[in-house]
Amino acid sequence: MTHSRRDILKGIGTITAGAAAIVATTAAEAANPRQGGDPDRRWGMVVDVRKCIGCQACTISCIMENKVPENSYRTIVATYEVKDGDRVGTYVLPRLCNHCSNPPCVPVCPVGATFQQKDGAVVVDGDRCVGCAYCVQACPYDARFINHETNTADKCTFCAHRLAAGLLPACVETCVGGARTFGDLNDPNSTARKLLDAAKGEAKVLKPEQGTAPNVFYIGLDDRFQGRVEGHQTLWQPSKTHG
Amino acid sequence: MSSRRLFLKASAAAGGLAAFAAGFSETATRAVHTWIGEKKTKGVNGRSLEPEFTVAPDGKVSLNPNQQVSYTMCLGCTTLCGVRVRVDKASGTVVRVSGNPYSPLSADPHLPYGTPVRKSFQSVSFYEEKGLAGRSTACGRGNAVLEQMTSPFRITQPLKRVGPRNSGKWAPISFEQLVQEVVEGGNLFGEGPVEGLRALRDVINPIDADKPELGAKVNQVALLSSVNDGRENFVRRFMQQSYGTINMVGHGAYCGGSYRAGSGAVFGDTRQMPHAKPDIENAEFIVFIGTAPANAGNPFKRQGTLLAKARTEGKLNYVVVDPVLTHADNAVAADRSRWVPIKPGTDGALAMAMIRWIIENERYDAKFLTQPNLAVAEAAGEASWCNATHLVVAEPDHARQGFFLRGSDMGVPVAEADKYKDADPFVVLDEAGKPVLHSKATGPAPLYVSQSIEVAGASMAVRSSMDILREAAMKLSLEEYSQACGIPVEIITGLAREFTSHGKKAAIATHGGTMAGNGFANAFALVSLNTLIGNLNWKGGTVINAGGFKEEEGPRYALKDFPGAIEKPSGMPLGRNQPYEKTTEFKRKKEAGKPYPAEQPWFSTAPQLATEWLPSALSGYPYNLKALILWNTNPVYGIPGLRKVAERTLGDPKVIPLVIAIDPFINETTAYADYIIPDAFMYESWGFAAPWAGVPTKSYITRWPVVEPRMTKTADGQPAGMESFFIAAAKAMGLPGFGDNVIKDADGQLYPLNRAEDYYLRAAANVAWAGKGPVPDASDDDIMVSGIERIMPDLKSTLKDEEVRKVAFMLARGGRFQPANEAFQGEIATWKFIKPLQVYNEAHATAKDSLSGKRFAGTPGWVPPRFADGTPMRKVYPETEWPLQLISYKSPLQNSYSIAASRLRGLHPDNPVAINPVDADRLGIRTGDVIRISTPSGSAKAVAVLRHGVRAGVLAVEHGFGHKEHGARAHQLGDKAQPTVPGIAAGINLNDLGLRDPTRKDDAVWVDPVAGTAVRQGLPAKVEKV
Amino acid sequence: MNSSITEILYVTREIAWLPWAVQYFFLIGLSVGCFLLSLPGLALGRAEWMKPGRLALIGALTCGLVAPVALLADLHQPGRFLNFYLHPQATSWMSWGAFFIPLYLAGLLVYAWAALYRCAGGTAVKAAALVTGLGAALVMLYTGVEVMVVAARPLWHSPFVPLQFAATALAGSIGLVLVFNRILGGGDPGAEVALNRTLARTLAAVLAIGVLWMLLALSGFSNTHSQALAQVASSPSWQLTAVWAVTATLVPLVLAWKRPAGTGVLTGLIAIHSAWMFRWTIFIGGQDIPKTGAGFYDYHLPLGPEGLLGIVGTAGLWLAVLILLTSVLPRSNPAKGV
Ligand SMILES: Nc1nc2c(c(=O)[nH]1)N[C@H]1C(S)=C(S)[C@@H](COP(=O)(O)OP(=O)(O)OC[C@H]3O[C@@H](n4cnc5c(=O)[nH]c(N)nc54)[C@H](O)[C@@H]3O)O[C@H]1N2
Ligand SMILES: Nc1nc2c(c(=O)[nH]1)N[C@H]1C(S)=C(S)[C@@H](COP(=O)(O)OP(=O)(O)OC[C@H]3O[C@@H](n4cnc5c(=O)[nH]c(N)nc54)[C@H](O)[C@@H]3O)O[C@H]1N2
Ligand code: SF4
Ligand code: SF4
Ligand code: SF4
Ligand code: SF4
Ligand code: SF4
Ligand SMILES: [Mo]
Repeated sequence: MTHSRRDILKGIGTITAGAAAIVATTAAEAANPRQGGDPDRRWGMVVDVRKCIGCQACTISCIMENKVPENSYRTIVATYEVKDGDRVGTYVLPRLCNHCSNPPCVPVCPVGATFQQKDGAVVVDGDRCVGCAYCVQACPYDARFINHETNTADKCTFCAHRLAAGLLPACVETCVGGARTFGDLNDPNSTARKLLDAAKGEAKVLKPEQGTAPNVFYIGLDDRFQGRVEGHQTLWQPSKTHG
Repeated sequence: MSSRRLFLKASAAAGGLAAFAAGFSETATRAVHTWIGEKKTKGVNGRSLEPEFTVAPDGKVSLNPNQQVSYTMCLGCTTLCGVRVRVDKASGTVVRVSGNPYSPLSADPHLPYGTPVRKSFQSVSFYEEKGLAGRSTACGRGNAVLEQMTSPFRITQPLKRVGPRNSGKWAPISFEQLVQEVVEGGNLFGEGPVEGLRALRDVINPIDADKPELGAKVNQVALLSSVNDGRENFVRRFMQQSYGTINMVGHGAYCGGSYRAGSGAVFGDTRQMPHAKPDIENAEFIVFIGTAPANAGNPFKRQGTLLAKARTEGKLNYVVVDPVLTHADNAVAADRSRWVPIKPGTDGALAMAMIRWIIENERYDAKFLTQPNLAVAEAAGEASWCNATHLVVAEPDHARQGFFLRGSDMGVPVAEADKYKDADPFVVLDEAGKPVLHSKATGPAPLYVSQSIEVAGASMAVRSSMDILREAAMKLSLEEYSQACGIPVEIITGLAREFTSHGKKAAIATHGGTMAGNGFANAFALVSLNTLIGNLNWKGGTVINAGGFKEEEGPRYALKDFPGAIEKPSGMPLGRNQPYEKTTEFKRKKEAGKPYPAEQPWFSTAPQLATEWLPSALSGYPYNLKALILWNTNPVYGIPGLRKVAERTLGDPKVIPLVIAIDPFINETTAYADYIIPDAFMYESWGFAAPWAGVPTKSYITRWPVVEPRMTKTADGQPAGMESFFIAAAKAMGLPGFGDNVIKDADGQLYPLNRAEDYYLRAAANVAWAGKGPVPDASDDDIMVSGIERIMPDLKSTLKDEEVRKVAFMLARGGRFQPANEAFQGEIATWKFIKPLQVYNEAHATAKDSLSGKRFAGTPGWVPPRFADGTPMRKVYPETEWPLQLISYKSPLQNSYSIAASRLRGLHPDNPVAINPVDADRLGIRTGDVIRISTPSGSAKAVAVLRHGVRAGVLAVEHGFGHKEHGARAHQLGDKAQPTVPGIAAGINLNDLGLRDPTRKDDAVWVDPVAGTAVRQGLPAKVEKV
Repeated sequence: MNSSITEILYVTREIAWLPWAVQYFFLIGLSVGCFLLSLPGLALGRAEWMKPGRLALIGALTCGLVAPVALLADLHQPGRFLNFYLHPQATSWMSWGAFFIPLYLAGLLVYAWAALYRCAGGTAVKAAALVTGLGAALVMLYTGVEVMVVAARPLWHSPFVPLQFAATALAGSIGLVLVFNRILGGGDPGAEVALNRTLARTLAAVLAIGVLWMLLALSGFSNTHSQALAQVASSPSWQLTAVWAVTATLVPLVLAWKRPAGTGVLTGLIAIHSAWMFRWTIFIGGQDIPKTGAGFYDYHLPLGPEGLLGIVGTAGLWLAVLILLTSVLPRSNPAKGV
């Protein structure tokens, strides 16, 4: 059962509100031509969930590297306890921007401040962004936020500044479990590509039904964690608790 | 319009506009900032840091002149990883931390030592994807603790209390005033005279003339520390070799002391307590019982990395036996990783059940066990050996009953001084059933012996070690063991079968989970399982830490021996870790006909015990404390139940008249100090340390001040800190070992010790020359790119010319490291433990419980948690009244002092107590409810979280929260008040609920009766919804 | 198999569209609604709508003038609003909106000027009404579709959303005119009855759309709707909201229909309240549903500009503008029929 096919309301939507949604996505490419970045590359990340130990080295290193303000996260490792029958286990899921090939965050931007580079990285021009947060709403992965220190949209850049210097993204460089592999998915010899190829279709993405075509792939992704997780909520809500 | 109406309208309009102005103020400010404010972003890169260096497509590394990249050591936990820090030169602050690729604690495999530093930068970069293969990491905490360097809670100036102890009010004083006051004493606080360190250093007169064994009065000055952060030798030089007290101890007794003690029993040394760890990389099956690699554990990162890799790419299957589910498990690696919940404090039952099954089914490695000495063992292809076949005197009432039968007993000539010592051989039976010296045996010996043999003309019952173990294991049935530990028989036998199905490539590991009221016994049993398969020194089995290098004993400088040094301080340590039988009390009581019980328990086989210090100081048994120095330690936070004792000891100047703390922060213990000496933060200090465990290649991590220390300076320009304090105090008292002409080089030339560098740089020179000879010289480029340039003037002014570049070579790489591929020679570890493993531990078997006067057992056995006098805990605090048990597990993110790092807190601000839904249902508790947890010694409010990942009957408390200091309370420093950050106090600390031992006369905390180690697992408890 | 998931560590995402956005959508909706209400009287010259038409125009003007201010405040970089015009984006409904709003507002001002100072029902007014009408339609369209296209939020991603925005805006604006009728218009009973009747019809439409939405969600015919329902169905606070919403629609509907005279202020206030609540629920409630996490975030209205002060501030501005306008505008222009 594919979600989109059953969504007959898309049709009705066209009648009531014009061809808005559909036009928007197809026009995205035309109106937001890719800029910057090496067109031969396609940056992507492969996360092997089996290797993640939930240490949050990625989370904190990203914060330090990118001066992410308090209570905001460009990446975070969601941690769960899963009970299946008698068996209980720890499930960890590193989350970050998927640098979608079809990023819904881009076409909504009213000023063209967010765009996709030719290397696939989806970035925000902090000098143009008006801070309307439309992109924040449009991202299905909660990968964006308003940075209250810059008052602009913020998100994972795949550490574009480090890539430009020939370095690895901070979270990848310091991944204790070795769960995060970053690389050029166009390059058949890249570790990331090889991991994906070896996974032979076992690699999954988050919320595939959204049609966003993520470039962060997961090995060992349980279906129950692909979308919004149905479970008991964690107790803490850092934006409110404690100083 | 009437004017009244007009007025009303105008006011309404004005009010509306005012509200608007207020609501819109922020918008307006922001708008104005856009137009005239500073630019906060840099295009798409926002506010991200500048890269520390650039690696061009051709691999060329160019530095960023604004940053310094240096290899040093992290103190974010006791792992002491080698890390790479990035310093923003303009502000002198550390902006980010990642791993040192040369260090096996941070990289797998680590970089060859000879690699030029510049090249090491390339190795962590994207160039040829080298940084993926050679990933070198810092964990979440290691990334976050840099915040603490500039924390508002940092102490940078010497402080003296004003007002009573623990009142939170301090006066900043000069370093010189502090030294003068603590050395000379006087009426320091207007509370009457206080003896200073000078007066207290009496190395001649006994504490108690009636009890000469206690030693001289100087022993009443004591120093408590934490882990060896790489500076312990310096402290020891002052406290023991120079000042002369016997009392100096770290946190071992409340870290994982019980495990170490149990391991010590197997490895035959309960003081040094050798221990081995699983070779995670090559093992096929590991049972982690009471240790949680990847959640905590030491080495934290290395274990995490290896575990993740082994369960994904390697051959490893593993089981985590733990009352609570942690990050040691990974649900996706489902067929590889499994969690088995256990009742707290019952690991011994599980282990003994496994031992029973293994013996009954003869699944042990008989080839290994039957080798009576190292030579035959090696000839048989073994990598270690044990005393399973050695004979024990079993003749009832024989003077030597319980001791090993020795050569001297058999009439072999042994010098009197060597009798019953190492040189006196053991006895085994040969194939023909004839006694033979173990050292003379040429092949395997019978494993089970229980018979009489002729010894010196008389018949004597003897038994082999293994036979005694068998008997111990058979005491209970599998069902009874299963009943005790709450693990079904099938799972126990399954674990035992799997454990014995992989040859040497299987292992049992344990640690903090054994900190129960029977921890020693549990650990002894668990570690003995490894003996049964003979996995020690084997690839895929258990391997010992290769260790580091000795920095104090040459070859360049003799740092331990100095003119006037006290070689070995003497007397009875405050923690009574000596045989009771050595005391005057014992002699007197024996003369009186009733030698037992002792006044308070003695821990005859243990190392020094911080757990007993404050109770001893309170009861004056064995003697009082006159002065206590707390150096980077926090027992009040870390020892269950100690707070109440601390209030009456540290809190009362009449009990401990002088308390001096040395720490960069005010913690739960140092809050009681009279004086606080600021100490250097991790990136500001010197320190050299070997990994604690788990690294099979020689490694030595060096820490050096990569940034200028932030403490105030002493009059002679040194940063006020631990080193400058001891140097100044020693000089003030005219003690040996400090000042001019106190460090001797190989030619007998003397050098000064007036500053930290005088000591550490010479220690570094020793290490540079240690082992297989001197390291190479650092190149100019090494010196430049590693930031060592900053301290080159110190190197040059302190070291000999030929030493400068060698020391620089080491510091530039963050230490000295043996190549990764030298860990094993074939299947066998390069660094081996070659003494016999103890299936039966004679020393333990023949030591007596100081209260009951009964001997301990020589082999492991199942003992329920109990109090000092042997009363089982559940007899005093039955399940009917205390239906639950509290356990502690380490936070995967926090350690005991990282709470003030705001970014860790933001991610995980609290530690709700985990309760199983079955218990919660019964008590009407739901996730988020406030509950009151009570133990016999206290109660506290907490928030509950329902988790299936905690065993029913257990309340699991994540450690690292519930702080009362470290920023939870704002101290007043002169006219400056620290800020108040409520989040730092979030959650609870299990230790505030720790038990007092109800069977003891003194006010002591519950400790393991054998090892004297703190009890934080399995505290009886009850819960109610508030 | 009995299975369950417990989140052990995750974080709350704060809402990114603040109460300012609620205010904007509310005010712009009311403005457009009022504008439409003014047409029969002012543009078409229908006598019985003349008086309510003038009141509606005041509503359209006051709300229309204040709305962009709230919109600006919801930008985190308000000073960069020019970027909307420097870098227009065809794919972004918000970008289009940046052009529709001035179009509508400019039209509205001309229309108001024409209606108040020239002749109601005259050509000038008609022409202005035409242009403004286009602007109004576009504003209605964009505000609805802007939200509708957000596929990331099932609750928003519904073609009903533009219709609901339009219908509730109209109901709210009728409510506003009903209230104006009492406080500014002297309580004209004829107008009250006419307005109440229209209100009842509008509320019936609101209800009908709601029922349709529910049917669709329950039938499982449309995934987004089912998902949206599933996300909120189990939440007590959402259940309460639903009951509230239905009550706040049914009560004024029945009152306005059965007792159109004398109930105007009550039905009007409830209708305004419903229009506001609908937006609050969609925006704030919608953002309280985690996109990836379990459960709900639980939003607490901050007291500062990000929250309460923002709401009060916009209300204050509106009040000031209302007082100003009612003071400077000709009270009535009998000569020209208004
Ligand atoms: N309930 C419960 N209790 C426990 C544990 C548990 O898991 N549960 N764990 C136990 C274990 S394993 C241990 S090891 C002990 C630890 O307990 P301790 O070793 O007594 O205490 P720590 O809190 O580690 O103290 C370390 C000190 O170092 C200081 N410090 C921090 N950073 C720096 C720095 O950069 N430089 C310097 N110079 N000092 C610094 C801190 O201020 C702190 O005072 O606690 C034990 N207690
Ligand atoms: N993240 C993190 N890592 C750390 C530290 C830290 O503070 N934080 N501290 C470092 C230090 S000082 C040390 S000593 C090591 C300690 O590392 P570990 O010894 O591995 O950690 P602990 O949490 O002390 O205890 C291990 C486990 O024992 C379990 N346990 C409790 N009671 C029982 C029991 O009765 N039986 C069994 N089988 N298990 C039980 C606990 O739930 C816990 O998961 O970690 C080091 N690494
Ligand atoms: S994950 Fe979200 S922010 Fe990232 S590209 Fe996709 S839609 Fe945009
Ligand atoms: S917040 Fe910035 S990047 Fe996002 S849509 Fe608005 S203008 Fe574009
Ligand atoms: S790639 Fe960089 S920005 Fe993105 S999550 Fe990792 S560290 Fe953060
Ligand atoms: S650093 Fe790696 S292992 Fe640690 S939490 Fe992040 S992804 Fe997992
Ligand atoms: S494991 Fe401990 S020492 Fe190593 S980086 Fe993490 S906090 Fe620092
Ligand atoms: Mo520890």
